[in-house]
Amino acid sequence: MESENKNLISHLAAWINWKRFISAALMIFFLTSILFPFYWMVSSSFKTRAEIGGREPVYVPSGLRLDAYKELFDPSNPSYQNFGVNIINTLRVSIPTAFVTVILAVLGSYAIARLRFKGKEFLLNSILIVYLFPGVLLIIPLFAMLAQIGDVFNFDVQDNLGVLMFTYMAQTLPVALYMLTNYFRTIPDEIEQAALIDGCSRVQVIWKVTLPLAIPALISVGIYTFMIAWNEFLYAMVFLNDRFLFTMPIKINTIFNDPTPRPNVVMAASTIMTIPIMILFLALEKYLTEGLTAGGVKG
Amino acid sequence: MAVSAKKGRQSVGHSEVRLAWTLISPTALIVFSLVVFPAIFSIWVSFHDVGLHNLNDVFHAPYVGFQNYKQVINDYAFKFQSLKSIGAALTSIFYAFSATTLAIVIGTIASLLLNRPFKGRGLARSIFLFPYVAPIVSIAFVWRWILDPRTSGVANDLLMKLNLIDAPKAFLATRGLSLFIVILLDAWRYFPFAMLMILARLQAVDKTLYEAAKVDGANDVQQFFSITLPELRYVIGSTFLLRLMWTFNKFDDIFLYTGGGFGTKTLPVLTYEFSFRLYDFGRGAAAAMILLSILALFMIVYVALVMRKVEN
Repeated sequence: MESENKNLISHLAAWINWKRFISAALMIFFLTSILFPFYWMVSSSFKTRAEIGGREPVYVPSGLRLDAYKELFDPSNPSYQNFGVNIINTLRVSIPTAFVTVILAVLGSYAIARLRFKGKEFLLNSILIVYLFPGVLLIIPLFAMLAQIGDVFNFDVQDNLGVLMFTYMAQTLPVALYMLTNYFRTIPDEIEQAALIDGCSRVQVIWKVTLPLAIPALISVGIYTFMIAWNEFLYAMVFLNDRFLFTMPIKINTIFNDPTPRPNVVMAASTIMTIPIMILFLALEKYLTEGLTAGGVKG
Repeated sequence: MAVSAKKGRQSVGHSEVRLAWTLISPTALIVFSLVVFPAIFSIWVSFHDVGLHNLNDVFHAPYVGFQNYKQVINDYAFKFQSLKSIGAALTSIFYAFSATTLAIVIGTIASLLLNRPFKGRGLARSIFLFPYVAPIVSIAFVWRWILDPRTSGVANDLLMKLNLIDAPKAFLATRGLSLFIVILLDAWRYFPFAMLMILARLQAVDKTLYEAAKVDGANDVQQFFSITLPELRYVIGSTFLLRLMWTFNKFDDIFLYTGGGFGTKTLPVLTYEFSFRLYDFGRGAAAAMILLSILALFMIVYVALVMRKVEN
């Protein structure tokens, strides 16, 4: 009996080790294949032209050489790219997009989550279906339509960051509305009902009770829409022709397609574009969980 | 309590409706004028001859019937020619199905890996989400640099050092191979979405089911197939359909990886080329309509299977 027990235990131990081995191997595989491209991006951005154009790849750059970054930012560099302007353009589009989207989505999603009115379900469903529409389908009519409107009201559709912002809002509002509606539905109605009975008006209730509870969700939706606008490629490519108005994605594409390939410069620009997003993402992760717990505790 | 809440609501019912419409009108206005109306308008464009020459007077463009559709369907880039050049429609469907399937399989493995507690699990989860969160432009150019066709490309260097290939390969510029690589890169980028969805469902699986199975002597593989997989069936199905539609719509990824060349031209890229390379917006809109009608099929399945289930 005892020997049988022992056999079983040693058998079990072997089984666990085998399983652990597979898990560890898989984990290492996942981590290397995910992290290697990021390592390659950052390390390539610090390589010199010689290191990047050799016969064999250089796995570790000889030092933190800023050649590529100088080309992006240093006006005295012979192939100066003026990348600072592109960073500012991207911010000029993505920050207002995020702000306006959050404000409008708060109003709309509150109405959908809390108030009762006809056509609510239809509205929510049609906005959700919109989210499944391909961007490439919408850009043709949008381009034609905005050209017409621009003619009437005398503004340029192309090379107009404001127009670009509006097209981004059309893309981000449905998601934002959906996320915030779900969040408002998790805030118990009783809290608001109590405030209403205490004599607050609806607007006061929204401002003083509901919004403070929803701050974590607002931040996460804001960061989310900011990221969509920051990363957007197709609309910016179609609507922007002036290199002084290019957003970062379009500028990086232009540098990549330059007749003399300079991967280190492309990687430097990509690094600059990626790092803020990764930092924001780590913050967003925290807010997502915090948003849930905060709502849970206060509700 | 519910009764008092209802009473409170009824007394403010009328002004509530007005408030609701005030609150939702800006969003509705933007979404309808910049999404719903253009979507309907693009049906109109697909039946008219719209180009750069008459873009400023688009509403008077001449009606051409189904000519744009005929042109798209007879285009060599759209039509099935041979197994070596299957055309944009089939490429799109093949690409969407295989990239989605692969992303879901990898996502399932990743979620199982992260489901058991271990040190640093939170960090691992964050890292697993990196490919999905990083900007597509950066990701695409890093991969193009890794897969560089010269010997200085790190993928070529590694594969040659391991004696897996003799000569450097042009991974993203070889017919056949390119589509395969693009599918792999897509799975790499989008598996975290599937992972998140499946992980959330995994953590809600009743643990006593596994206890019972252990008592009955089921091993891990048996437990996976008889408990985990059936429990995940619904989330895998809905994630699959959602990802399928998104992948089918995807423009950026393929455009940035290959520019739509070497047998990777999908319908979104073809639509873009008709519209903004040839400036034939009518033909572009017709291509987009064909894209949309295939998408509509997926959508109907999605609504029938998933949304109904949610309501239940």
